[in-house]
Amino acid sequence: MLWLYLHFPHLLLDHVRRSQQTQGALAVVDLAGQAILQVCPEADHLGIRPGMRLKTALGLAPDLVILHLDSQQEANLLEEQARWLYRYAAHITLSPPHGLWAEVSSLQRLYGGLPAVWQTVEQALAERQLTAWLALGHTPLAAQLLAQAGKGECTADKGHILTALGKLPLVAAGFDEKSCTRLHRLGLNTLAEVFNLPARELAQRLSPELLARIQKAQGTRPDPKSPWHPPHRFRQRADFIQEVEHAQGLLFALQRILTELEEDLCWRQQDTDTLHLLLQHRHEEATRLTLRTTGPEHRAESFLKLLRLKLDQHPLRAPVISLSLSVKRFLGREAPVGQDLLGDGQDLNEAWHTLASRLQARLGTEALQQLAPRADHRPEFAWTASAIKPASRHSETPEVSGLPARPLWLLSTPHPLAEPPARWFSGPERISAGWWDGQRVHRDYYIAQLSSGQLAWVFRDIRDGWYIHGWFG
Amino acid sequence: MSKSLNHLLQDARIWQGHKPQKHASPAEHTGYQVLDNQLGGLGWPKGALSECLLDSCGIGELHLVLPLMQKVARQGKTIFWLNPPHTPYAPALARAGVNTDQLVLVQTHDPADFLWTLENCLRSPVTGLVMAWPGKLATRDIRRLQLASEAGNNVCILFRERRQAEQHSPAALRLELIPGEHQDLKINILKRRGSWPGQRCTLALGHRAGIQASDPTGVIQGPWSQDGAT
Repeated sequence: MLWLYLHFPHLLLDHVRRSQQTQGALAVVDLAGQAILQVCPEADHLGIRPGMRLKTALGLAPDLVILHLDSQQEANLLEEQARWLYRYAAHITLSPPHGLWAEVSSLQRLYGGLPAVWQTVEQALAERQLTAWLALGHTPLAAQLLAQAGKGECTADKGHILTALGKLPLVAAGFDEKSCTRLHRLGLNTLAEVFNLPARELAQRLSPELLARIQKAQGTRPDPKSPWHPPHRFRQRADFIQEVEHAQGLLFALQRILTELEEDLCWRQQDTDTLHLLLQHRHEEATRLTLRTTGPEHRAESFLKLLRLKLDQHPLRAPVISLSLSVKRFLGREAPVGQDLLGDGQDLNEAWHTLASRLQARLGTEALQQLAPRADHRPEFAWTASAIKPASRHSETPEVSGLPARPLWLLSTPHPLAEPPARWFSGPERISAGWWDGQRVHRDYYIAQLSSGQLAWVFRDIRDGWYIHGWFG
Repeated sequence: MSKSLNHLLQDARIWQGHKPQKHASPAEHTGYQVLDNQLGGLGWPKGALSECLLDSCGIGELHLVLPLMQKVARQGKTIFWLNPPHTPYAPALARAGVNTDQLVLVQTHDPADFLWTLENCLRSPVTGLVMAWPGKLATRDIRRLQLASEAGNNVCILFRERRQAEQHSPAALRLELIPGEHQDLKINILKRRGSWPGQRCTLALGHRAGIQASDPTGVIQGPWSQDGAT
């Protein structure tokens, strides 16, 4: 087995930096807000180093932007990284808070050798503007230690790896502090010197845990890693250093997330039709926006267009400090139908989805309706309006020979007849129904022309009232 | 014809008003031969606005468009109804042979949304026909719609009030609809692009309510007949 370890030295910084349009000095401080933990290159240039006290750092760079460490957020971020790495490697294990293992011996044939695997991962990291230190090891722990020390090399040779591992100082081995001090007092400085000690003596004089760690690094003791499986949802978050006051400012971050979503959906060979956008404000309750498209969609471009419309319709209530986009509903891809061989003809189905999604994003889902006749004797119940549904399009014209003569306009509520009609044409047609659901209708319908020249569908109800119920338009 | 006249007729600078332009903009037949003849044998212009000006509904205005609706629905294109004054009655449309799956009813609440929706519908390739009932429209707005309809090559019919006949409009076709004596519809062509306006015709639309021309009266008179209606 061969393991690749990715160590993200400053994941939180990378994450925040790539959502910003402007670059400034950034630093992550610990929970107490006292010491600097991670610094970006700009801050490093100003002389700020990890471990420095916050006051000193602010003295060096008064404009320094400070991020507070959030372990929950770090865990989420790490999972995001595992998610894209899953496209390249099947067996992934998380190593919170800063690392990931990927089993690569099974990938060598697929990618054509270890250097190709290495290169693929490095390229993917560069695309995502992430910094990670890579290392290969014949055991998970060896890979981890080498990566954390930044001494990783692209080699599968066990002897070579062990030599590199042996050169590591004891501090980098991750032993507990007490054992480390004791080993130092014994005059041991590198891991190789510890490896040379007899195992029995080590366990007796130091601790069994230390021996276990050494054996796991060497590969003489099993160190099973259970594989991680990606959850069946998509969730990405962007944090802003400076609060975003206009929707325009959100689009930059949204574009990157949507591109990742598109890539993710392409890999899954799936589409989605529902996006959830959560906007966090500093002092107010978060804004939740739901974007629905009429049909399955995966392109970032069309999502972005719809989101732009949605954001135009819902102005920001308060400045936004972070946004997160999640997708829970995934749909299988379907091959496009009805296209000619060369794909010259415009895909009407797609155009229809685009139009309907646009209209619904601006006007609301309820604003678009489709009409259909329904089997009922009562005129006001003989039709239905439903939200538009793409599936029923291009269906055959239903058999309609049995339908009675009806006006093209129906009034939503019958309108009292103000004056006697000028001419009567046909009638009565008696409609008496609805005794079964309490909405009884008992009417005689006539067709009549009013003095204004309009042809009306009038009825007389059981209480002798006369009403107009429709117009023959 | 004299030689000099022939010579004159060949001069491109002379416009022969009585001849319909052969390479006129594309159009959809209205389905009524009488009206088509008055419209230069063409019909509803495509890629341009048409206006129907009428006082009240129920005079046969939908039946005027019905042949086009049937044709568009058969082609699998969508018919948009934008802010209609009443509910288009699905059973009657289905009976007339219009596939109701192709009908989309859109309701908007403010004028900006209305214009935006209409523009989007006009520009989409899925649209076959847009029927819209705008409230008030400024000439500037109609101009904007005219540009959108040119982009989309669809038929767009605006139903407006008759008193707006006085108002100038950039629409390509303007028809004034007046109810006639015998359930027919009188049509005055107020404006037609590329030709003279002022033609008139009358369409017999009694069949829209199933009325025969020679039908004396199919009504069964009861004791309630006339007094009840007051």
